[in-house]
Amino acid sequence: MFQVNRAYPYIFYLSLITYLLSIFWGLFLTPEDFVQGNSYRIIYLHVPASFISQSLYLAMAIASAVYLIWKVKLSVYLVRSIAPIGAVTTFIALISGSIWGIPTWGTWWVWDARIVSTLILFIMYLGLISLHDSFNNNEKADKFLSILVLVGSVNIPIIKMSVEWWSTLHQPASITLSEKPAIDLVMLYPLFGSIIGFTGLIACLVILSSKLQIIKREKNKSWVKDYV
Amino acid sequence: MFDIEFNSLAEALLMQSQNGQNHGIYVWSVVLIVILCISISFVFYKYKIKEISKKIK
Repeated sequence: MFQVNRAYPYIFYLSLITYLLSIFWGLFLTPEDFVQGNSYRIIYLHVPASFISQSLYLAMAIASAVYLIWKVKLSVYLVRSIAPIGAVTTFIALISGSIWGIPTWGTWWVWDARIVSTLILFIMYLGLISLHDSFNNNEKADKFLSILVLVGSVNIPIIKMSVEWWSTLHQPASITLSEKPAIDLVMLYPLFGSIIGFTGLIACLVILSSKLQIIKREKNKSWVKDYV
Repeated sequence: MFDIEFNSLAEALLMQSQNGQNHGIYVWSVVLIVILCISISFVFYKYKIKEISKKIK
């Protein structure tokens, strides 16, 4: 915790600067899109949030597996710390997508496979928080939380593949590992910057949230008293 | 590559596209929502950590 505390300000300021510069680049310096006009600039806020909301769930699934197999307490603290941040990023992804839908699709909501699976992810994050907090016994809560996170992880490939498996309004991925990006490089560079910056900012939030979780759960230990 | 796309602040706020529609309202609302969500989360966690640290002390 002490090493993380020392690295925290560097990660925070570096990520904040990267994010703000990339957003400025995307909003003001990139040209208008031929099809979507200026509304496409929402991509610089929507895509990082969407990417992080799914990545955070994957991180939770890995940490849950670590807890269930090796009983590492810290990993379940991490799962509980990530859940509210995952809910916030999924909320941003849903809201920004809905707002983007108004000028692009002519509607703010459609019961489309990608959007519904992302809504399920948001409900899952909220459900996991409620489930964990509804138990009086921490050990039981941790175990149920980890099992449910692992069960829910089936939704992540569904979100990812929904645009391929079903006919949806949502456009397919513009960046893939195997093909040339469908987006021009002038627009792609600030997108990468915003993803990196946003990831750093969310990492800082996870650090803060984990710190809170550890202090809460270990408050009777002498080292916590010394630490605070 | 690094030319500013808009000639004035008003143009940047309106973000009028070639089809004549103003997209600024959508883009700037998303910017505002993201800034609010992230800042509130940071303030919340900082406050909660301070509060619990005080209690433990």
